[in-house]
Amino acid sequence: MVTYIISLAILIGINAILAVTLNFILGYAGIFSLAHAIFFGIGAYTAAIAAMKFGADFTVATAAGMVISGVISLALALPALRVRGEYFVAASLGLQMLAVTVFSEWKSVTGGIGGLIGIPPARLFGFDVGDPVLFLGLTLACLAVILLVMRALVRSSFGRNLKAIRDDETAASALGKNVALLKTLAVVVSSSFAAVAGSLFTFYLSFINVESFVLEVSVQIIAMVIIGGTATLLGPVIGAVIVLLLPALLTYLPYLPPTEIGSIQQMIYGLAMVLLMIFRPSGLWGYGSDQQKRGEP
Amino acid sequence: MVFLQLFVNGLQLGAIYALTAVGFSLIFGSTKIFHVAHGSAFAISGYIYWWLASKLAVPWPVATLAAVVAAAVFGLFMERFIYRPIQRHEASFFTVFIAAFGVSLVIQNLIGTVAGRGMETVTTPLSRSIEIMDGLFVAPIAAISIVVAIVVFWALNYFLSRTHIGIAMRALSENPDLVRVFGLDPGRVAQWAFVIGSAVVVPGAIFTAMTAGLNPAIGTHVMLVSLAATIVGGIGSVRGAACGGLLLGLAENLAYWKLDPQWSEAVTFIVLFAFIVFRPSGFFGSPTAAK
Amino acid sequence: MSGEILFQADNISKTFGGLKAVNDVSFALRAGIVTTLVGPNGAGKTTLFNAMTGHLVPDQGSVTFLGKSILGLPHWKVARLGIGRTFQDLKLFSHMTVLENVTTATESGSWLWQTGGGAAKAARTERIERALDATQLQPRRDTRAVDLSYAERKFLSIARIMASGARLWLLDEPASGLDRSSYDRFLTVLRNEVTSGVTICIIEHNLDIVQSISDRIAFLDQGKLLAEGDPKTILSDPALAAIYFGERAQ
Repeated sequence: MVTYIISLAILIGINAILAVTLNFILGYAGIFSLAHAIFFGIGAYTAAIAAMKFGADFTVATAAGMVISGVISLALALPALRVRGEYFVAASLGLQMLAVTVFSEWKSVTGGIGGLIGIPPARLFGFDVGDPVLFLGLTLACLAVILLVMRALVRSSFGRNLKAIRDDETAASALGKNVALLKTLAVVVSSSFAAVAGSLFTFYLSFINVESFVLEVSVQIIAMVIIGGTATLLGPVIGAVIVLLLPALLTYLPYLPPTEIGSIQQMIYGLAMVLLMIFRPSGLWGYGSDQQKRGEP
Repeated sequence: MVFLQLFVNGLQLGAIYALTAVGFSLIFGSTKIFHVAHGSAFAISGYIYWWLASKLAVPWPVATLAAVVAAAVFGLFMERFIYRPIQRHEASFFTVFIAAFGVSLVIQNLIGTVAGRGMETVTTPLSRSIEIMDGLFVAPIAAISIVVAIVVFWALNYFLSRTHIGIAMRALSENPDLVRVFGLDPGRVAQWAFVIGSAVVVPGAIFTAMTAGLNPAIGTHVMLVSLAATIVGGIGSVRGAACGGLLLGLAENLAYWKLDPQWSEAVTFIVLFAFIVFRPSGFFGSPTAAK
Repeated sequence: MSGEILFQADNISKTFGGLKAVNDVSFALRAGIVTTLVGPNGAGKTTLFNAMTGHLVPDQGSVTFLGKSILGLPHWKVARLGIGRTFQDLKLFSHMTVLENVTTATESGSWLWQTGGGAAKAARTERIERALDATQLQPRRDTRAVDLSYAERKFLSIARIMASGARLWLLDEPASGLDRSSYDRFLTVLRNEVTSGVTICIIEHNLDIVQSISDRIAFLDQGKLLAEGDPKTILSDPALAAIYFGERAQ
């Protein structure tokens, strides 16, 4: 039972990182990405290769993942963000589909559909952190660091610039802000930090394959952000908890056929998204447009 | 000869893509709503046709009519019960997108649960290929889909340029007040846009059911293509969306000449990306539409 | 009262789908002077502003600021050169507080922090506080823009452009709908800015405001610049009055 809870906590931590980093562009900058799972995947594969082929420890593997993720996000963002927001949505969806094919076909690097196995346990400064409790500590530490970095960014001039763009792009331009560049930077930051989650995932499972990085995963991360609320830094964390506890909850309902649980999960996300957008656009934890008084964190 | 075969297949697929893209472009162009649940209209009408024609052996005209009604009702439902309530208080791109996305999620999984996750096809003699030339196999359905697509476009063009409501739809995107001058209510015109935009996908859905087959995820694929075609063709141009769809259908098939089938979606993305980088306004879009 | 020419537009035209929204307009804005753009609705005033700020690219003509051409520059680069602009619908950053709105007006750099170190930061803070003091928004520093009253929102729009340090202000109907005492206060703020070296060009319908603030008036109708000169002459011209009050069939 304890091992189960620790496992679940690690998964929640990893997903919380994904949700928080997605919220950075979705909630704070107003940029829509359907490709967040891909940057998760790039971080995972890079870390795996760094550990297996080069014996890298956790920090080096993660750093490598962050760099590659950042560079690829740049390739996506630079052209697509020059133009209107709808283009980025389309381009990110396309990237999500394309990358899944690449992950499945590039056998020499990603192991193809079979994936990569036998990833060595994580080592940090010479210490083996493969033990579940230690790894949970590592995960939570990473989450905490990322939250602190995000908080600093949101409160900085960069954060204000992003919020200004989200609230009114034209007015932001009229104040001299280079909107395309700012959005691109936001995407690079968001994607690089998503790679950290990928690295944690790789060392946690010791095995990764493309199934963990498909469109449904990108959708699930969006659900976490929407349900938890986009207005705060912690909202997505709460969203991650809710969304990950949902399947466990569903298994307890007697009349649900187990084969349909995945479907029902997705239907619940979908329904939640629709209802929230109609009645409470800022999510369960954010401020509604009619309840005012909460400020930004 | 392989090239010619792929070209013909590409035309057939292109016709289907063109129809769905036109539907999306019509809705987005007139109402400015980024209707990412459009793929669901395709999926719903396709599955209704399959269920009636294949499982219940209902004659095809009835099944077709049912599919059209289903698509139109879906479009109306989205406009009336999802988009309008949202636009009443916070009509940002964000809220509209997420709500539409949520709906498509529900529909996709509902279809999967009710109809199963496998590939479903409607068997019909029309899909049996005839060797019309040495090495060139064409099924009657190919010719039918291209002809139907052309007829639908002609009818749509007539509607948009000759009827009151059609003209109002084109005016709606530029200037909603102009619509009132016509004595029409912008809300009504928006509803028409959704009804027609959704109904237009039905032929494509039926042809897909007869050829490649349906699966619950087809909505997503169709959505990506519609989005890509709209951008490639130029935002605001219905004609452009049709050309974009045709181009993507051709590209997807011609890619088989050199690439494995798994890369077909990759081809869509590559074409889309090329346009975003080199010609963001698309075929027929105005340069400012890309800003 | 003629200072240097800050801004020069020569023969600018802009067509939208067959309609000439701006038709061969030429004029100059001199330093330290308040110019008002008047004309009936749909005369092309806002479109002219858009063409001046790089929001739209004119089909013909040239636009120069401080002697250098700014034609074809994107909106944000034009803003960084010192041309500020407000909008008819204000475009405030509604989910941010008053203080954040004004602060972000001083932060045009894109990196994770602004350049210039401590001295630049102190200068920015000084501009922020001055803007908040001048518009009397200090007590509302921490209120979100969406929660402000109508007049406060109008003043916030001015506080933003003030804090941005722009030399040329293009204001689009900045005082519309304000009550008497608010717009007296408003005019005082504008006059103080002009005294400290800002050049202002206002689009305005309210003839009281036009009379009390303008040093020069430019009259636009259907995209054409019909007249330009001092307020007394323009406002007493009966032909222009007829156009303005719509006595001619539209």
